[in-house]
Amino acid sequence: MKEQFPARMVRIHFGEDDRWHGKPLHEAILAKCMELGITEAIVFRGIEGYGSGSRIRHSSHWPLTKDAPIQLSIVDTEEQIARLIPCLDAMVEEGLVATSTVEVIRYSRSAGKSEE
Amino acid sequence: MLNAGKAMKVTIYLSDGATRHGVPVYSSILDFLFYRGVAGATVTKGVAGFGADHHMHSANMVEISDRLPIKIEFIETREKIDAILGKLEELAGTGLIEMQETTVIKPAQVSKPKQFIPPTHLKIEGKAQMMRIYVSEEDRWKDKPLHEALVAAMRANDIAGVTVYRGILGYGAHRRVHKDKPLHANHHGSVMLSAIDTEEKLRAFLPLVDQMVAEGLVVFSDVDIVKYAYRALEVEATS
Repeated sequence: MKEQFPARMVRIHFGEDDRWHGKPLHEAILAKCMELGITEAIVFRGIEGYGSGSRIRHSSHWPLTKDAPIQLSIVDTEEQIARLIPCLDAMVEEGLVATSTVEVIRYSRSAGKSEE
Repeated sequence: MLNAGKAMKVTIYLSDGATRHGVPVYSSILDFLFYRGVAGATVTKGVAGFGADHHMHSANMVEISDRLPIKIEFIETREKIDAILGKLEELAGTGLIEMQETTVIKPAQVSKPKQFIPPTHLKIEGKAQMMRIYVSEEDRWKDKPLHEALVAAMRANDIAGVTVYRGILGYGAHRRVHKDKPLHANHHGSVMLSAIDTEEKLRAFLPLVDQMVAEGLVVFSDVDIVKYAYRALEVEATS
């Protein structure tokens, strides 16, 4: 199935060691997105970066080392994103949130097959 | 030089061990063809075969054979072949010479010396679009990971550039959370492809995305290209 609609994209930048209620912030935001029924969310780990605190964050070759820059990319309709923004205000203590207008095409398999 | 149209293809079958004046026969034939100005010739070594003497020649690890079958092939005009055939028969010795009529569709061209060609089809400045495609890393297209197939397809369609990002956590259309496990060899997560080009080119590519992506999300956004710098590639010109 194919749907096409205008949407908003939110990108949030912060560090991998940032936490929210003891949980990694990116996991907490992702859980919030799922709760709100946001269409698409994906977390990327950067190789290197710096943010509002001006400290350079590195990602190590050793995958368990933390403090890498994190970028979360979220896509949904204007209304859905509007519902998410207040939550982000509460959750992101230090970081950057950027939004942009996008056009979306969504492909999905027929409803019966998707539930495995 | 060989032109398109009717021509003859000559195939000579030899045994690798065959020598003439201490030189392998194939190399004296190749030299002969080269100096007689034949358009081109290829020597291939067989893996196994047998000839008139009905002795099986094979590349076996146990009995390392130096008598493997050799095939020399070349294409030339009838006149030129008639002129060299006599000598060729003599050179081939016990080998077999076969000839058949063929049609040259496209003659090979002499490669020009290397020169720098700027990739003109990649010139984009100012207003452009970014196309992001979100798929799962497990998704496949014709037995190939989908993201690899998409990159190959974009490359074939001259899309200026694409980068694949692997997400460490994410979910998509059917709300299954993809999580990257550290120290885990086979990764199953979300990936995002980000491609930038002009709107027309990305839209022209979209039908292919329709075909290839069964499940996923495609996001278009307007971008401004501030700088597009490339290194001039060393390409071998063919014309």
